[in-house]
Amino acid sequence: MIETSVETYWEVYSFLMHEAELLDEHHEREWLELFTDDAEYLMPVRVNRERVDGDGFSEEAFYFEETRGSLELRVRRLETEYAWAEDPPSRTRHFVTNIRVAEGGEENEVAVRSNLLLYRSRGSVPHYDVLSAERKDVLRKEEGQWKLKKRVILLDHSVLTTHNLSVFL
Amino acid sequence: MIEQPTRERETQEILQEAKRALEEEGKLLAKVYNEPGIFEFEAKKIFAKTWIFLAHETEIPWPGDYVLRRIIDDSFIVSRDEDGQIHVLFNMCRHRGMQLCRSDAGNSSHFRCPYHGYTYTNTGKLNGVPFQKEAYGPDGLDKDEWAMTPAPRMEIYEGMIFASLNPEVPPLEEYIGDMGWYLDFYLKKSPAGLEVVGAPQRWVMPADWKLAAENFIGDGYHTQSTHMSTIKAGIMRVKNPAYLKDGVQITAGMHGCLFMGFKPGSYFNYPQSIVDSMLENLEPEQVKLLKESSILPLNATVFPNLSFLHSAMAIEAEGPLATSVPYLTLRIWQPMGPGKIEVWSWCLVEKDAPEEFKKNSNRALLTTFGASGTLEQDDAENWSGVTRVAAGEMSGQHYLNYAAGLAHVEPIPDSEWPGPGTAYPKNYVDFAQRRFWESYFDHMLK
Repeated sequence: MIETSVETYWEVYSFLMHEAELLDEHHEREWLELFTDDAEYLMPVRVNRERVDGDGFSEEAFYFEETRGSLELRVRRLETEYAWAEDPPSRTRHFVTNIRVAEGGEENEVAVRSNLLLYRSRGSVPHYDVLSAERKDVLRKEEGQWKLKKRVILLDHSVLTTHNLSVFL
Repeated sequence: MIEQPTRERETQEILQEAKRALEEEGKLLAKVYNEPGIFEFEAKKIFAKTWIFLAHETEIPWPGDYVLRRIIDDSFIVSRDEDGQIHVLFNMCRHRGMQLCRSDAGNSSHFRCPYHGYTYTNTGKLNGVPFQKEAYGPDGLDKDEWAMTPAPRMEIYEGMIFASLNPEVPPLEEYIGDMGWYLDFYLKKSPAGLEVVGAPQRWVMPADWKLAAENFIGDGYHTQSTHMSTIKAGIMRVKNPAYLKDGVQITAGMHGCLFMGFKPGSYFNYPQSIVDSMLENLEPEQVKLLKESSILPLNATVFPNLSFLHSAMAIEAEGPLATSVPYLTLRIWQPMGPGKIEVWSWCLVEKDAPEEFKKNSNRALLTTFGASGTLEQDDAENWSGVTRVAAGEMSGQHYLNYAAGLAHVEPIPDSEWPGPGTAYPKNYVDFAQRRFWESYFDHMLK
């Protein structure tokens, strides 16, 4: 499972903790800086299927099918004063666990899997949303810094249990 | 002593007052947005009486394909049999009532009940009963009598599969009626027809289904406020936030839609092959609207809970996709109880569109509508907020303004408008929304 050096694992761990902190503290612009220019950010639709048909992730339908450029649009929107869905902002907590790091397909890359539990509450209603997923990331080292080259968010939901995805996973 | 249960009588009184206020004063009683008694009426008087969209044919293209769909709490298997025929079958075993099929999509010639093992073909025929003679005697069971129960009515309109729980519902084409002329702009741009891009997005929203349905039937007005962030961010590529004010609003039977303008000759930035086919495939009067008036239906609702949206938005911050890319979504607002819906959102594209366009069109949809859509995120915020504040007692004496256009807007004379129904020469009006509510009260108080 852990195929890389302790040092690399520690760097990846620190990267993911830092990333979660940026999201929970609403520093979306800084979060965007963690991505490579050619980044992909994907969250496929998951369909409840029989065991024999596999895990049910769609190859065509997505909740997110993003590049760095389209994430830029989403962040720009949050920076306006009219992003009602996030103003007042959601209170989120990204719980990132079960981090597994393996060699990547290219030099300077690692393949990282982690589990995510996203807690989200809004307003002052007692209700809260919880989203659960595995994330499969590819991190690439550019000029001594780890960057997110690819993220695939694999939901544990066939029906999303939150009213919108104005937050990132 | 009491003829009707008190709660049912109270619900009827709320509805009668709401109908009166709408008809006489152009006002809506806010209570109708979140009231358990009203939801129970809706389930019986609307969702069990009208045509409800279930699936698109291209979701089940091959023999044996099926998907599970619902009308409120009733689960149906929508299957395609070995001859290509489509069936809508109530998903409940005839023996002890177990849910027969528990996977939301798949391919199977048969459905076998896990409980005692009754097995049915994908046409609904009872095919196998374990230990039949031991259980039911030497003659076994009458398999015709114990077949699966089909939906009382099933019809297909331009690839869209509808069902109704009401055996007496009018034929689907008659039900859609004049609205069909407007749906053509969504559905008939190419003789090849439309196909879905993968499985639908599904998500749960603490909002009333009527808020979404009446928004999609004709609310051009909210764009300048609700969706301002996407204009500022360069997603909605317009300079004037009020660009929708000068369109055309339509009422057609129980249904309605909104036309928006596009730059003459741009045809919403559709690829040339689709522009050619839409000008070829649509009727001359429809083409005239595209060519001479440069308008196209943006959003529409088919009563009660099926909506369409045609739009064009940027996907990227820079480069060739930083311009408006067109897309079409079809969605249903599926009630899950008072003040709660499951939204189902499909992306549709012309089957013969260039492959790269299909992918980009779906991305343009994701950027703007669906659970993560930068426009729909804010719609969800608004509709949830209305539903939340309508839950209390005050909404029983709080009236909302549905009077836009009543004082100063007259319909376009029939001689000057090529389509059926009634056309109004503005978008910041409530004619279509009021038509939605009139249709609603007609059903609820029948």
